[in-house]
Formats: sequence, structure tokens, C-alpha cells
Amino acid sequence: MSSPYTLHTLDNGLRIVIERMPDVNSAAAGFLARTGARDETPEKAGVSHFLEHMCFKGTSNRDWREITVDFDKLGSVYNAFTSEDRTFYYGWVPKENINQQIELIADMMRPALPTDEFDMEKNVILEEIAMAKDSLDHVTFDFLLERVFEGHPLAWPILGYDTTVTDLSRDDLAAYHQRRYAADNMTLVVAGNVDPDDIIATANRLTADWQSSNDDHQRDVPTPRTGVANLVVERFNQQIVALCFKGVSGNHPKHESLEAATSILGGSNSRYYWNIIQTGLSPSAGAYHMDLSDSGLVILYGQTDPANIEELTDALRAEAKKLCESKVEDKEVQRVKNRRRTTLAVEGESPYHRLVQIMDDVDYRGAPRTVDERLDAVQSVTADTIADTLAEFPFQGPEFLVSVGPRDWPGTNGASQ
Amino acid sequence: MSNVTHKTLSNGIEMMCVELPTRHAVATQIRFLSGTADEPSDKLGVGRLVQETIDLGTEKRDARAMSDAFDAIGAADSGAIGREATSYSCLALPEYIEEAIALEAEYLRTPTFPTDKVDVAIDLTKQEYNAFLDDAQGLADKFIGQQAYGDRLGRHSLGEPQTIAAMTRDDVVSHWKNLYCSGRMQVAAAGNITAAKLEAILEEQFADFGNTDKQGRDGYDVQFTTKRIHHQKELEQQQIAIAFPAVPVSHADFYVQRVMLAILSGGMSSRLFTEVREKQGLVYWVSAWGEYPRGHGMIFIGASTTPERCDTTYNTLMREVDRLSEDLTEDELDRAKTGLVAKIETQGDATRARCRQLADDMFHHGKHVPQSDKIARIQAVTSADIKRYLDEHPRNALSVVTLGPRQLEGSELASNGANGGAQ
Repeated sequence: MSSPYTLHTLDNGLRIVIERMPDVNSAAAGFLARTGARDETPEKAGVSHFLEHMCFKGTSNRDWREITVDFDKLGSVYNAFTSEDRTFYYGWVPKENINQQIELIADMMRPALPTDEFDMEKNVILEEIAMAKDSLDHVTFDFLLERVFEGHPLAWPILGYDTTVTDLSRDDLAAYHQRRYAADNMTLVVAGNVDPDDIIATANRLTADWQSSNDDHQRDVPTPRTGVANLVVERFNQQIVALCFKGVSGNHPKHESLEAATSILGGSNSRYYWNIIQTGLSPSAGAYHMDLSDSGLVILYGQTDPANIEELTDALRAEAKKLCESKVEDKEVQRVKNRRRTTLAVEGESPYHRLVQIMDDVDYRGAPRTVDERLDAVQSVTADTIADTLAEFPFQGPEFLVSVGPRDWPGTNGASQ
Repeated sequence: MSNVTHKTLSNGIEMMCVELPTRHAVATQIRFLSGTADEPSDKLGVGRLVQETIDLGTEKRDARAMSDAFDAIGAADSGAIGREATSYSCLALPEYIEEAIALEAEYLRTPTFPTDKVDVAIDLTKQEYNAFLDDAQGLADKFIGQQAYGDRLGRHSLGEPQTIAAMTRDDVVSHWKNLYCSGRMQVAAAGNITAAKLEAILEEQFADFGNTDKQGRDGYDVQFTTKRIHHQKELEQQQIAIAFPAVPVSHADFYVQRVMLAILSGGMSSRLFTEVREKQGLVYWVSAWGEYPRGHGMIFIGASTTPERCDTTYNTLMREVDRLSEDLTEDELDRAKTGLVAKIETQGDATRARCRQLADDMFHHGKHVPQSDKIARIQAVTSADIKRYLDEHPRNALSVVTLGPRQLEGSELASNGANGGAQ
């Protein structure tokens, strides 16, 4: 069977990855900039996210009004997001509009950064930061990264801090854009009912004047710290505890096994569900693997009334210890595979879902995987591969414990130990 | 020829199925026509407790065995309760859909509601209620829902602390017995399945399931309250929620209203996003949306902003609502229509979305409304229609809620603070 993919690199270094989906009526396109919060300096924390906002605020061809009007004229489902290590701009449209969609996002990738809009957008971002402070989950996650990766660029929040965002200048954004949005640090991803030759011709025409970069920026591989830290926020009613362990990168050979281990421990129909949630100890407990291009972090978490936080922490640890010390049952592994098979079958039908999956593969693995290839990776996981993985990356032993809520527990109140 | 089948089966189930043979999965939704509005007034939250515990033990299997049975075939099953219905959605590969529906039938028909599981669910609900008090936007939604819909339709699925505290297993069992029967069921399916197969499965699995007469088809009255109430709470941002009555899905002007709503809050070029966020930088989040209990419509506007900007934000939101009829342009009308049509078309590529559309058609119209009809009705809307709609439906009765540290000018202070509505 012929590959559904077309891979192409333009002379300026811009990569293009296209998946043909002839059975659908729509198409999705996105530009990936391989840059995010970890590529910032601490005094410029938030610049990646601010730049993402400003790409919607005007180019040499369009003002902000024209950008949003043009998106809406295409009937696009569109947005952008910034993470620790990437920024992605996308639109999902009826198939006949895909070239116009690519043209619009390509235009945005060369923003004009108008001064008056810069000041206005700063207010919007400060509101976004204020909104995040009203969310216990958000406060906890930012605090966790700040402490676990203290001293590393992963420590600061994607949105930045009030102070750093307030201090950012238009020139800061322009300089960052020049370094990080070079053609050879970007990828155009397209999925849907499209003609690849047509897409490549369009991209070639639109990005002919994009330059490659001389940026020699290198990312430092992070090492999660061990320790304890808690943050007292009296106005919340609930307390969250999180136990953090070293994980693996998105392209690591043990990635699928580690994902399966977290699913068995803290996913659907998991040990945490039956032995913690269904005992009434916590309405929300789970395990999450945050994977990046060069590293990962396993987070075991739970939320409960503050008085029960010690009992919940003990329970989270006890289940993790059992997982690490006794081989998982084959039927537990099979459950994970069966669930994944159905999810992949459905996601494979939607250009938007495929766009995001391909972007993830291209960024972390260098090449896209078909739905069948993704499924094969899941099928290769066994109880033995999970045991091997947990022997190397255990969810027990040295950990970083983070607690956030109204109770001063375990008692560091903001400090790390 | 249409690939959609709509019929009522001998057991009273209303079924709708769209056959999409090239898809790799089947999505189904079983909708019982009973929601929070059908709860006894002293048992608020019982509907959600039924939904949360119904699959935690059957006459054949315990809770884990039921979950394992779904996982053995890779079927994803989930439940949710709304104001007027409780839905059980399932996604499965075509070769397993029969088994998946059989498992759903097993827990819907023969739940044992084990005492220990129900007790845990009640305890967890109490904790979830405490967690809900940390959810500023969720709290604002609850308060505006109560004001806009009144005592019955405005209920929150979590119930109230005093009703949850008094809840027993007998209450849960009684609620299930009263409201779960085939006469209250609507079942939608989309994907790689034939209507004949679905019909055979439903006839077999839900034979003799309680009352087969059609029930739960009538909506409830709305008790709209024109008020501006402030709920004091320590927050970084102030939540603003506004509601005003609108036309129901069955009304001739429904599609005019949908386009109007898209003009107000469709894409990023819509009025609220443009005027409140882009031009003034007052908010990060602002939105308007419609909710449609049967026989009614309600438009909601929501925004969050720092307290010192609350009055300006509120006044800007109201100005945009008032201004709708004044300077509508053909360009923004066209954009709104394009956006609505494109969403129908692109979401047609998603099997689950097609299933939800069918379920909504049955719920609101009692019949299938083809995508082409919906698109034609959207495309037929003119600026004159919008102006006429706005003239005929003045927005002079508003219900307003604010939640946060600063009371909006001219509003009343809630008597119960921000404790989630507990008296």
C-alpha cells in the first residue's frame, strides 16, 4: 500500500508534511514553530506565548481585524497554543478552502507587531494570568514545574509572570521572533482531502522570502529534582498533592510502556480508580506522563479535603509501589491496548486530530506515523516491557512532593526542601 | 436516498441511525428523557447519583467485571446528566457494537446499586461539591442557571449539600425505577452500522424494559427572574454572567437567532471578541451561547475580568447587546453564516459529532433534520430577518450574576454568599 504521506523540505529549510485523507470533506493545516517557554530566558518569561497572541494582531498585509475576518470567512475552526517546547497555529476548513487557510496562517507567521496592539494585548495576557490564578489545577501545575525544574527553563510558566509580561517590550518579541521563527525551525503540517503537489506549490510561493536561522540555541536536558514543597492558598477548599518522578522523552524506546504503566495506575478502569476513588478517599486521582522532546516527568496526583491529604498521599504511594514491585497482569495491559485501538480508529477519521498527531510525531520523532504504526507501537507493550521500564524509571523512591491548597502541609509553605 | 432511519420500535424506543459504511467505528447515544428537572425537590442530585452508580454492579457482574467487559472489546462508555435528559454515550469498533450495547443494556436494566458503592458515591459527591466551590466559572454558571430557569430547570446536577447529606440508597433505587424505561429512551447511532442491525439489537436488548408508552416528551416551564445579583467571593477575577430569553429550537426564527448569536460570538471577528477583548483588552475570556430546553431558549453571555474592570466590561457587553440591531453589515452576516455552515460540514467528518446531531434532532424536533436543510435555513437568513428578530424579541429583561470581590454598580448582594447556593 502506498504511503499517505508526502514529505518535502523547501530550500529555505521549511519542512512540509502532508497526509492525504481522500474519504473526508475537510482539511486542516498548521504551522509548527519549534519554540516555547523553555526557549526563553527567565527575565523574558512569557515571550513565546505573547508572540503567539501577537501573530493574530497584524502583518504587513493584514491588520488584526482582517486576520480574524479572513479566518471566519473561510469557516475555519482555528486557534493556536503555546507549550513548554512548541507553538502551533492551526485551522480546520472545508477542503476547498485549504490553500487560503495556509496563506492566512503563513502570513501570520511574519507578524508586524504593531505597537498599539502590543499594549492592548498585554492587558489581555495579564487577564489570562489572573484567570489562571483562580484555578487550583493551574496554580498547582505551575508551582510544580517551578519547584521540580528549579534552575532550568522548564521552571517558569508558559504564560509568564505578571512582572515579566509587564516588562516585555515590542523589541523583545521582534528579537525572539527573528531567532525562533526561522524557516528551518518551522514545519507546515497538512491533513485532509488535499492535493500534495498543490500544497507544496502554495507553500513554496508563500514562504520564498523566509530566511533560515543562524540561531545556535541549544536546549539543556532537564533533570527533575527531588524534594518537598507546598504552597498555601487559603481561598481554595480542596488540597492537591502531586508526586513527581523522572519520565522519558516522546521518542524514547520505552515511551509506550511508560504510557501504559501510567494508564494502568491512574487512567480509566485503573488501580487508582478502584482503590482510591472508589473507596471514597478522593474524587480525583490519576497518573500523567508529561513528555517532551528530550525528557519527561511522571506525575501521580490526587485531590481531596485538606484533612485527608496524608491518607491520600499514602494511598498514591502504596499503589505506585505495588505497580513497581509486582508485575502487572496481562489483562491490564490488554485493556490499555483495546481502549487505544478504538480511540485511534476514530481519531484517524478527523483531519484535525490527525493534524495534531502528525505534528507531535514530526516534532518528537522526526517523521509521521500512520494510525496503524501508532497502533503497532501500542501493541508492542507487554507486562515484561512495563516491568523493564519501571525498573529503570520507577514511580517510587526519590520523588518531588508538591502540595497546594488551604492547608500548610507538609509545612514548607512555598519553600523547597 | 437518505441514509438516515428514524422509527419507533415495538418496545417504545425512538431510534435514529445514519449509516456511514466507510467509517471505522460506531458511535451511539442512549438518551433517557429524564434529567435534573425530574428529580424530587427534596432529592436534588439523585439523578447524577443514579448515573454515577448504575454501572457499578448488575445482577450478573460486579463493578470491576463490568468495566473489564467494556475494556475487553475496547469500547468507551460514559454517562452525563443534563436538565432534561441523561445520556449514555458509547464508541466501539463495528465488530463489537452489538456486545457494547448489550453491556449498556445490562447495567441500565439490572443495576444492583450495591450499598457500599452508593455510599461512596454520596461521599464523593460531597467532596466534589467542595471542589466545585473552587471553580469560579462553574459557580457563576450555576447561579445564572438558577436565576434564568427557576427552581426546576435551573437545578445543578451536583444537587445541594443538604439534599446530598440526606440521600440514601433507597432514594437512588427509587429514582431509577421511576424514570428508567424504554418509553423514555431515544437512541442515536452513527458510523459503520446498518439501521436494521441497530433495530434488532435494541429490540432484543430492551424488550420488556418497563413502560413502553412514550414519556418525558414534554418540557418544563421556565421561571425567568429579572435580577442583578452579586455573590461575594475572594477571587483574582470577577465572573460576569448575563442571561435573557430566546426562541426555542422549534421556532421559525431559530436559525435567524443562531446567525444573530454567531454575529455576537461566533469566530474571533464576532462582536464580543472584537469589542471587549481586541479593542479594549478587558478580558481574556468572553463568550455568548444558546441553551435550549424543550420549548424554550435562553441566551447566555459570560466574561471574566479583574475587579477594577468589571463595570466597564459589563457596560461594554450590554452596549454590544443593545447595538445588535443598529449597524449590522452584510459582511458580518455572511461571515456568521459561513462559519455555521462550515462547522456543520467539517464536523460531519467526526462520527461522534454526527451521532450527537441525530440525538439532538430527535430530542428537539422528533424527526431527522438533514444537514442540507439546516444549511439551507442558515443560508436563507437575511439582514432584514435579523432586524425583525431583534425588534420582535427585545432584550429588555435581563438576569445578571457577578461573582468575585467587587459588587457591580446597582446590583443586589446575594444573601447566601458564594457557597454554591446552599441556604
